[in-house]
Amino acid sequence: MRVSMPTIFNNIQTQLQRLVEDLQHTNATIANGRKYQQISDNPVEVGALIGLDRDSTQITQYQRNLDTAHDWLAGTETVLTNINELVSSTAALAEQMATGTYTAQQRAAAAQQVQQYLEEFMQMGNTRYQGHYLLSGYKIDTEPFAQQPFAIQPPEMHLQSGSDGAATSSGTYTGTGSITYIVEIVAGGATGAATYRVSEDGGQTWSTTATTAAAPQAIGSAGAQVTFDAASANWVAGDRFTISVYQPITYQGDDNTLDLAIGRSTRMQVSQVGSDVVGGAGGANDLFQIMAQLKSNLEANDAGEVGKRLEELRDYQAHLTAVIAGQGAALNRVEIKQNAYDTIQEELTQSIAKKGDTDLVEAANAMASKQLAYQAALQASSMVMNLSLLNYL
Amino acid sequence: MSGILGLMDIAKRALAANQLGVEVTGNNIANVNTPGYSRQKVNFETSQALPMPYGPLGYGVQISGIERAFDPLVAARLDQNTSSLADYQARKADLDQIASLFNETQDGGLSQLFSEFWDAWNDVADNPTGAGERQTLLGQAQTLADAFSFRADQLVQARNDITQRLGPVIEEINAHAARIAQLNGEIQAIETPEHHANDLRDERQSELNQLSELIGIRYYTTGNGTINVTLANGVSLVQSMDSYSLRYEITPSDTVAVIWQGPGGTEEDVTSGLEGGELSGHIAVRDTMIPQFQGDLDALAQELIAGVNTLHSQGVGLELLSTATSSYFVNSTAAALQNNPSLAFGDRIAAGQFTVHVEDGSGGTAATDISITGTTSLADLAAALDAVSGISATIVTNGSENRLQITADSGYSFGFSEDTSNVLMALGVNTFFTGDNAWSLGVNDALVNNADLIAAGRIDTLTGAHPMGDNTNALALADLENQAVTGLGGLTYEEAYRQLVTDIGLEAEEAGNKQDFYQGLVDQFTELRDSVSGVSLDEELTNLIKFQRAYQAAAQMITAADEMLQALLAIKK
Repeated sequence: MRVSMPTIFNNIQTQLQRLVEDLQHTNATIANGRKYQQISDNPVEVGALIGLDRDSTQITQYQRNLDTAHDWLAGTETVLTNINELVSSTAALAEQMATGTYTAQQRAAAAQQVQQYLEEFMQMGNTRYQGHYLLSGYKIDTEPFAQQPFAIQPPEMHLQSGSDGAATSSGTYTGTGSITYIVEIVAGGATGAATYRVSEDGGQTWSTTATTAAAPQAIGSAGAQVTFDAASANWVAGDRFTISVYQPITYQGDDNTLDLAIGRSTRMQVSQVGSDVVGGAGGANDLFQIMAQLKSNLEANDAGEVGKRLEELRDYQAHLTAVIAGQGAALNRVEIKQNAYDTIQEELTQSIAKKGDTDLVEAANAMASKQLAYQAALQASSMVMNLSLLNYL
Repeated sequence: MSGILGLMDIAKRALAANQLGVEVTGNNIANVNTPGYSRQKVNFETSQALPMPYGPLGYGVQISGIERAFDPLVAARLDQNTSSLADYQARKADLDQIASLFNETQDGGLSQLFSEFWDAWNDVADNPTGAGERQTLLGQAQTLADAFSFRADQLVQARNDITQRLGPVIEEINAHAARIAQLNGEIQAIETPEHHANDLRDERQSELNQLSELIGIRYYTTGNGTINVTLANGVSLVQSMDSYSLRYEITPSDTVAVIWQGPGGTEEDVTSGLEGGELSGHIAVRDTMIPQFQGDLDALAQELIAGVNTLHSQGVGLELLSTATSSYFVNSTAAALQNNPSLAFGDRIAAGQFTVHVEDGSGGTAATDISITGTTSLADLAAALDAVSGISATIVTNGSENRLQITADSGYSFGFSEDTSNVLMALGVNTFFTGDNAWSLGVNDALVNNADLIAAGRIDTLTGAHPMGDNTNALALADLENQAVTGLGGLTYEEAYRQLVTDIGLEAEEAGNKQDFYQGLVDQFTELRDSVSGVSLDEELTNLIKFQRAYQAAAQMITAADEMLQALLAIKK
């Protein structure tokens, strides 16, 4: 083919331009470490990279959620474990006190101890994590457990056989400490005829005897009252009932548990409902109620009832242990999930690097060979450009 | 005439012929870098022989003409490929600009902003009362909304830019067509059947080449040396010495129409017949590709708005609302809301109901179910809400825009739950995003002003309680990231966006590949053309010497003839 001047020079220009373009692209991939500079470089791979990047970001987020979950679970576990230990101490104390060998004073002292434990339980239950109460469900801004004003409890009856006595309590308590009144029937008979006496110190000292009546009768001097049931026709001497006055602790939170997202469409319960795991809402496993009753029983110097409370404490402890085990299992799950995410994240990082990052060795090689090609082209071009018949004329 | 004088005559014509050869060679050398120049050569031929008794005697050289080295077939192929190359060059340039808006290979892409938005919801779910988490969410949402708006705006801008480029391109087409018609006239006037107007033909060929860069053309030579040019669909652009111009207009549907202005005021829309050239590349990007990307981006934004708002409108923040105004409006308060043409999401309203909870200052709550049917109008809804004690509902009118405004009585506040009708989302009451497409996407001002209103929780339908630690709504919102969206063909938001990016990338890549392909063809045909028409200096120098030597020889012949004559004249002395 005939080769004309424009062909020679056009070719030189085009080829050099192409080499420089190549060189520039290779240089850019090395300079910013990315294999692709534009989406049109490889749309399919770039699309895949976006997907991988998103997966990676999402996993980082789930890992952060898991951290939060871990904090909630660990915080709750600590609280519950502490409560459990204290329950053991309480149970030990109750076991001691359930034996008949202790005196009323000793039991009164134990009652003080129980009161301290009770307050301790409440404080533990009200533990906060990052300003949030752990055990109040969604009402994280509300203390789960709060002491209510002194309340006069309904009588707890211990009747002799044949007795049909019944009584109710009422009144407004004006005292400043908790107290348990023991009311004892001194002389049997129908309400209105039977007589009773009251003790405020577990039966060590007694008030003067008074006649039962179907209207509120003051017991003690702090506003508590008792009303003997008008229908009770047969009180028996030795019938006893106790009326406790204490500050009940009630649950202020709600029944919801906090869920966190720990994976695509996977959620995990990270909080416990305070009324389920500690109490304050009545029911069999209400630690506060058991404690309050235990205290009343001690104040009333009632070893038998203390024994019953001991059973209840043990039942509660079994329940709590199960919950703690559940927390442990959940924590374990968090850890497994974290590890799994770490592995996936590592793999993702590798795939992203493999797909999207410049292979430096390869790029440097390419750079070197392109540089060589460019140099060769420049040299060849300058030689071709210099060739002319003119030089020989 | 034979004899010595005849010999001198032969030498004289040889001198003239070779001098012409040197002149043409000089012209070739001078034009070595002139674009479109075709090298010329002198056609020598032997003169008519003289009849002699011993047979015809050769009688020197004569020139039959100066011819340009030109292959019309190669030139036509070159022009055709130039058209295709220019088409894809235009597409590639336009698409590269668009692709850079969606360049997800670098940091700060929309996909990253999407992830960060969902992450922010996750963080709110982790700590629903956290002011920092809420502010971060608002910030991320705003950034995401800005990113959508920016891209939508840039796509519109890209279309405008292209529109602005059409005018000059069409003017240039008209100018080239006019020049070709003019050259046709000049060539016809100058040329004889034997002698071609080489330089004018070169110029016309160069005009044709430039015209093919702008628009796809076909052309053919007529018997009298003129060239007729038509568009790819056969509509005439140059007919002998007449040219017809093009103009463009924007149709009501915002597409470009290229109008051919024929003889006698006839006009014809030739847009669909355009093929190749810069013009058709620009039009394809402007009217086919960008609208498709815009549609996809808008669909994504719409589904995002609908998805987030549907959940958000049924949720509750850290505090209840004291007032709420719908972000969308209807033109007629009496028209049914369902499928209302002025509501972007009106088609998503279904018969159903929602619950409005009103709380008095002391914590007492009352729940009222509001029913929505296919015929419920804005006025009906306002009346139904107004009847709820503790709140009043009015319609705020601003021109033809009617919006629902709900205001709590003093000391009261309100919230919503369980909307099975979607009416809250469609009206934009207690919603997260505002707007109905990529450009208008924004974050509800009510939330920007009070981050506590971000609905991370849900009102308990039975008790009316809305504790602060409730993260159910935030969890559901964060989970949208993983949900397949029916309106996006069953893809998640991120997958739909990824598809859009891949589509744009593929279009740009394809335009680039085609550009490379046609560049190769153009290079090849240019080389072919140059191998025929291009000037080679070595060749010309050789020719120069050739003609020079021949000239010298002819001069020598005159000397020889002269000597012969002198010898003859000396005989007489």
